[in-house]
Amino acid sequence: MSADTAGVQPAAVSSASGVIHDIGYRKYAGQRLGRAQIVRALAVQSLRSAFGIGRGAKAKIFPVLLFVLMCLPAVVSIAAMALHPGQGRLFSYDTYQQALRPLVLLVFVSLQAPNLVSADLRYHTLPLYFARPISRMDYPIAKLAGFTTACLAMIEIPLLILWVGTVSQVHGASAVWHETRALGPGLLYGLAWSLLLASIGLALASSTGKRVFSICAVAVPLFVTWILATVLSHIGLQTFQPAAGGEPPALASLAGLMNPFTVMNGVADWFGSGTKVFYARTGGPGPAPGPGPGGGPGPGGALHVELVNLVGHYGPLYGVMFLIMLTLAIGGLFLRYRKVGVA
Amino acid sequence: MRTLEPVAGAVIEADALTMRYGSTVTALDQLTVTVQPGVTGLVGANGAGKSTLIKILLGLLRPTAGRAAVLGLDCAADGFEIRTMTGYMPEHDCLPPDVTATELVTHLGRMSGLPATAARERAADSLRHVGLYEERYRQIGTYSTGMKQRVKLAQALAGDPRLLLLDEPTNGLDPAGRNQMLELIARIGAEFGISIMVASHLLGEIEQICDHLVAIDGGRLLRADSVSSITQASQVLFVEVDEGLPELMAELTRRGLKPVGYQRGLLVEVDDQKTYDLIRDAVADLGLPLTRMVRRRHRIEELFRADPAMIEMTGAASVR
Repeated sequence: MSADTAGVQPAAVSSASGVIHDIGYRKYAGQRLGRAQIVRALAVQSLRSAFGIGRGAKAKIFPVLLFVLMCLPAVVSIAAMALHPGQGRLFSYDTYQQALRPLVLLVFVSLQAPNLVSADLRYHTLPLYFARPISRMDYPIAKLAGFTTACLAMIEIPLLILWVGTVSQVHGASAVWHETRALGPGLLYGLAWSLLLASIGLALASSTGKRVFSICAVAVPLFVTWILATVLSHIGLQTFQPAAGGEPPALASLAGLMNPFTVMNGVADWFGSGTKVFYARTGGPGPAPGPGPGGGPGPGGALHVELVNLVGHYGPLYGVMFLIMLTLAIGGLFLRYRKVGVA
Repeated sequence: MRTLEPVAGAVIEADALTMRYGSTVTALDQLTVTVQPGVTGLVGANGAGKSTLIKILLGLLRPTAGRAAVLGLDCAADGFEIRTMTGYMPEHDCLPPDVTATELVTHLGRMSGLPATAARERAADSLRHVGLYEERYRQIGTYSTGMKQRVKLAQALAGDPRLLLLDEPTNGLDPAGRNQMLELIARIGAEFGISIMVASHLLGEIEQICDHLVAIDGGRLLRADSVSSITQASQVLFVEVDEGLPELMAELTRRGLKPVGYQRGLLVEVDDQKTYDLIRDAVADLGLPLTRMVRRRHRIEELFRADPAMIEMTGAASVR
C-alpha cells in the first residue's frame, strides 16, 4: 500500500475457509496527473503496443522480425568495413537501403497501425477514453505521437547502429566529424519519413474497426501507388535519350508524386542525396558513377553509364507534396475522431 | 499535479436544459432538476433522454440551451475537472476482449490521471470490490456478461470518483446477475461514500436501491422525489375479469376509485388497505368472474400512464 491511499473502513469478515481481511474502500488522496501527462501516458502505451510490448509473444514476432531486417544493412556495412579495411560505409544515412526501407515500413505500418486504433473502434472503447479528463482530439494526438516514435525507432535505430559501427572503425577526429555531420540530415529525414508514414498509416487504419480490413486499408493504397509510381517512372525512362546533363522525361519525374515512399525519395533527391537512376546505354565513354548500389564502371567501356537525378527539376514539387500528404493525413485522422460517437 | 477537493451541496443541477439534434429531434426539453448526494435513479423509457443527459453532464455534449452543473462545476466550461471526479459506465459493450481486466482497468486508471503505481493498486482494489479475484488475470473475452458488466463498473471506480454515472448497469444480465449488480451499486453508494446516478428503464428494479428517483420522458421531467413518496403513490393493482369490464369500471368509479382501462383489464391506484376490499366487494356484488387481481410489477412508462396524476402531468406523452 502506498502512502497515497488510506484505509477508510477496516473490517474483518470471517468465512468458512478462514478470515478474509476486507480492507474496505480506500480513497485516493495522492497526486493526479494533468491532461498533458495523461496524453503522454497514452502515447507511451501506443508506442509499446506498436512493438507488441505488454501483449503476448505472438504480438512481438512481426515487429521484432521487421526491426532485425531493417538493421541488417547496417550490420552488413559494419562487417564489410571490418573485413575490408579501407572500404567505406555501404549505405547513406539519408536513404539507407533504398528498396528495403519502404518495404519494411510498408509491412510495419500496415500491420501495426491497426493495432493502435482499430481495436478501440471495433470494441467501442472510445467512450471510456472520452469520459476521462482528456479532450477528444487528445486521443489521435497521443496515437500519432506514439506511432511516429515507433516509426522513428524503426528508421533511426539502424542509422545509429550504422553510425556507431562506422565511427568505431574510422581513424581521426575529422573522419568521425564527417560521419556525424552526414548522420544529422539522415536523422532529420528519418523524422520526416516517420511523421508522414505514421499519420497516413493511422488515418487509413482508423477508417474501419475490423482488423483485416484495417490492414488492407493501409497496405493496399500504399502498395498499389508504390508499384504504379515505379512502373510509370520506368515507362517514362524508356523513351529517355539523354544528352549529357539532360533532364529525364516529365512522366518519369512526376510519377513518384503519387506515393509517400517515392515522395520521400523525391525529397531526398531534391536535396541532392536521393535516387539516382543509373541509365546505361552502349556508346561512348561516360563519367564513372559514384558510390551506391549497382555502381561501377560499365564493362569494357562500351556501356555509357549516366547518373540521372530522377526528379529532375521537379524537386520542390516533392517538398510541396510531402506537406500536402502530411496535412491531408493528419487532417483526416483528426476529422475521423471528430466524427466518432462519444458514447 | 493536483488533488481533488471534496464537494458539498447538490451533486447534479440542471437548469432549463435543452438538447436538440437538428431541428426535429428534441432529446431534452427544458429539464430542470437537482440531485442530492446518495443513490439516485434516473428512470425513463428508451429514448427518454437519459444517455443524452449523462453525456451533457460529462461535458461531452454541449446543450442547445440551459445549463448543467456537476459537483458545483459547470458542465460546459469545466468538463476536464468534472471527468476527473466522475466515473462513467457506458450502456453498451465497450471492453476489448484480448486484454486482461487488470491491464485494462490499470490503463484506464492512468487515463483518469493516476500515476502508474497508484493506477495498479487501484485497479486491483476496484476489481476486488466488484468481486473479481483470480479472474482478473484472464482475458476479458473469456468472461461472462455479468463479469464484463463488473469490469465496466470497476473501470468507473478506478479513478476514485466523487460521482458515478451508470447507464443501464443491469443490461443483459439474468435475474441473479441483476440482483448482484444492484447490491453492488447499493453497497458502493452506502459504504464507499460515492454518489451514484443510475439510469434505467426498469423502475421496479432500481427503486430497491435508490434514495431518490428522477423520472424523465420525452426529454422532460416527470417527477423528482424520494423513492418512498413516489412508490407509495404509485402502487397499482391490475384487475382482470372474464366479462363485465365496463360495469366493473362504472361500479368502482361509483365507489370512489379511479380505474383506468389497461389491456384486457383495469388498473386501480391503491390508496390504502381498503382499496382491496372495495374491489373485492364490487366484483362480488356484480357477480363477475374475477380472473386475477395482482400488484403490477410496473415498468416506468406503464406506471406513469396508469397514475392519473401523472397522466395530467404528462399530457400528450401519455397518449402515445
